[in-house]
Amino acid sequence: FFSSPKMASTQLTDEELFSQLKCFGYTPGPVTENTRPVYLKKLKKFRETGAPRPVKHDVRRLSSGRRPGLKSSVLGFSSDESDAETPLKRKGLDHMKRPSRSPHLQQQQLKIRAATPLNEANKKQYGVGTALKSNSFPNPDGQTSASLGWETGKRYMHDPESRDEDVSDEEVQNSHPVNGRSAARLNTSKLAGEYSDSDEEEVGGPGGPERDRRSLELRRIYTSGPFASHVDDGGSRIGGKNCALNPLGNRAMAGGREEFEERGKKGDLDASGGLRSHMLPRKPIYLSLGEDHQSKTGENNHINREEGASGSNMASIALRPRYRGSYSPTLSPQGGYSNHSSVPNHAYGPGTQKKKPTAPEDELLLQFKREEQPSSGSFSAHYLSMFLLTAACLFFLLLGLMYIRMRGSGSPAGDGVIKSHPFGSNFDSSYSKTEKDVILKLLLSLHDHLAIVAGHHDCGEQQYASRSLSREQVTQYLLAQDGDFKDFIDVSLEWIIRAGQDVGIRLSGELADDLVTDVSEISWLESTHPRMPFTCRFRRALLTVMNKVLVVAVVVGLVCSVICYVKYRWRREEEETRQMYDMVERIIDVLRTHGEACQENRDLEPYLPIPHVRDSLVQPQDRRKMKKVWERAVKFLSANESRIRTETQQIKGADFMVWRWIQPPLSSDKSKMWQGKAFPLDRRNSPPNSLTPCLKIRNMFDPDMEVGDSWDLAIQEAILEKCSDNDGIVHISVDKNSKEGCVYVKCLSAEHSGKAFKALHGSWFDGKLVTVKYLRLDRYHQRFPQAQGCSAPLKASSLHQTPAPCPLQHGGPNSSGFS
Amino acid sequence: MSTTSQKHRNFVSEPMADKPVTALAGIGDRLGHSLTEQGYDKAYVVLGQFLLLRKDTELFCYWLKDVTAANSKQADDCAQCLKDWCDAFL
Repeated sequence: FFSSPKMASTQLTDEELFSQLKCFGYTPGPVTENTRPVYLKKLKKFRETGAPRPVKHDVRRLSSGRRPGLKSSVLGFSSDESDAETPLKRKGLDHMKRPSRSPHLQQQQLKIRAATPLNEANKKQYGVGTALKSNSFPNPDGQTSASLGWETGKRYMHDPESRDEDVSDEEVQNSHPVNGRSAARLNTSKLAGEYSDSDEEEVGGPGGPERDRRSLELRRIYTSGPFASHVDDGGSRIGGKNCALNPLGNRAMAGGREEFEERGKKGDLDASGGLRSHMLPRKPIYLSLGEDHQSKTGENNHINREEGASGSNMASIALRPRYRGSYSPTLSPQGGYSNHSSVPNHAYGPGTQKKKPTAPEDELLLQFKREEQPSSGSFSAHYLSMFLLTAACLFFLLLGLMYIRMRGSGSPAGDGVIKSHPFGSNFDSSYSKTEKDVILKLLLSLHDHLAIVAGHHDCGEQQYASRSLSREQVTQYLLAQDGDFKDFIDVSLEWIIRAGQDVGIRLSGELADDLVTDVSEISWLESTHPRMPFTCRFRRALLTVMNKVLVVAVVVGLVCSVICYVKYRWRREEEETRQMYDMVERIIDVLRTHGEACQENRDLEPYLPIPHVRDSLVQPQDRRKMKKVWERAVKFLSANESRIRTETQQIKGADFMVWRWIQPPLSSDKSKMWQGKAFPLDRRNSPPNSLTPCLKIRNMFDPDMEVGDSWDLAIQEAILEKCSDNDGIVHISVDKNSKEGCVYVKCLSAEHSGKAFKALHGSWFDGKLVTVKYLRLDRYHQRFPQAQGCSAPLKASSLHQTPAPCPLQHGGPNSSGFS
Repeated sequence: MSTTSQKHRNFVSEPMADKPVTALAGIGDRLGHSLTEQGYDKAYVVLGQFLLLRKDTELFCYWLKDVTAANSKQADDCAQCLKDWCDAFL
């Protein structure tokens, strides 16, 4: 039998098992030879889930989902799930010597089974959603490592001190006493449990290439696992030590990757030092994995780090809450690890690097646990933060651009005016240099002044009431600037007029937009490039950006709200439809039961008034709410339901709309009915010609489910009825005990049997698909010797049954006792 | 609506007396054979095991699946059958 992962099951006496079960609040019955394995399994379940009743179905589902490839050794495994394969495999098992019950196979099978509840428990407990892709682990590896673990476990029992690092795959002969064997099984199951746990958890890690290494790793770890457990002398202490010992255990478990031996020795000593991790030894194993990785950080290549990540991954998953306390600090340092892997690994990667081997392990695991849980949530959180960041960046960028544009629009020609002027070469030739400079300076200051005026005006400052300056003001200003300007004002103005391009100053006449052609007409000067103070510019830029953003946001908001509204409406529709269908179903149920009751009790009317149905289905307080639903249901029924007829009846003098349940003709399951053909018979699915006069009809019934004493008669009748056109059936025998539901039929000739074949093969009978095959006549006679003498055709008993010379024919009903 | 099989109803309807183990619901020929081989030839012996496990159907299922090649449905049926029998007669 399989046994629990508790260490040292050799030392687990019945009393101890009993008391431990009691610790979980469960009162076990006597622990005997028979019940021991069951209680061990229960204990193991308790340890993992802490709940008295882990869900069996999940276990089964889980185990059926995983390891599709493990065939030969997983005999017992598949038996949990499928009926079809199990009987064959199990039969094989059972036929082995019962006392010795081939240990390897059984153990493997048991261990797998033990593993699956473990896995399930872990899965449930830790809620690891991301990493559970069990099928990805290569099966041969799994098998090997499992068997390895088993072997080494066994060896440990012999000699705890000598760690055998050899890994050989040969089948181990079980030479222990029962206890030892069960201990070995315990180990294997535990190992398998661990193995499968790591299987399910590490899959979240890196891909295929690292698996081999990991499997090696695991093997080592598994070997160390049971060893540690055995070293524990009678340590059946549940609950107790953890952190303090785990570091030791970790080192022990770091039977590492490549350097098996040296690690192994180390593990020896340390494990003997007192690994009392009765809690799932997985934990120390995974811890050691992580530790191993850190210690090898320098030499590790990327793959190793990856494994480290996954190892710590596993460790974190495997750890219980008490480990949480100490791991947070160590996780931060590992920054760039495993960036290429998937996001969960990404989350773990940063955490796997550890500085100190022992103390940070706890923190590491804690952090893993924390990181792991929000990993799925952080996925979206991560994106959200990125999104916000980019939005902010964009905003500021936009702002800057706006600013620059404002500034650019306000930027003066500046010194450029002085150096390069738009007046053309004439200007240069007309005046001397100093004059030129003065003129240009004049123009520049004029331009600046006007720009400032315009800028201030635009910014809304009160002191500059108008954008443009009158000529007098300009003259005043220029004179104030520089006395030399006086002479050149007119000249420069003239030049401005003459200039082909815009110099930044616009001259206008008395009325605002007149085009001036002569200096004398100038009355207003205005800057076309207003220069605004910084704050003003910034403010304007900000306002512009915000306005634009606001507009965009409003548009987006509108669209979103429209979408939400549409979705809401749609959902409401769906909900109502669902309610309507639900109501329809309930009505149908009520009517059907009423109909059936009517059949039995002739006093009842076969119809029900609609309001009565409504009142019986819908609570008074809900009637108002459900009114709409009810109306729809009624409409639906009248339109779409053929089994219910709406009519008007008078009940006690008042007219009511009633529903009448119309019994569908084939709904009765009391009588066995032929229900049509599943497929047309053609050359593919039936022999081209009938071969023998004897037929074996399969799947006519299920012996466990048959009710009554004469169901075999009904079967016979059904067959005869089906072949009523065929006068050639002389012998029918229903094999009552066959689980395939076999009926044997002999016909007069091959031709008749062929007709019967065509009539029966592929038909549905009582919900089962009937198949027919031909039997050899001599075999048939061997089995049914009385059939040799039958020669008169049988008829369905609804018709007149012809007497036949067949000795047992006349008792028709009792002829089924042949087989 | 009852979801028990006829076998179940038959078994639970009366004291099991000396019924063979194949009279239990869920135990057909094959399982009955394997149980008999291990010494559980009568239904009351299986009942004994059930009682040893304190009438816990879950444990009984574990046990039955171990001892024979029963699948979950068969084990469940058998456990439920025994439980009902105990409820009725014990």
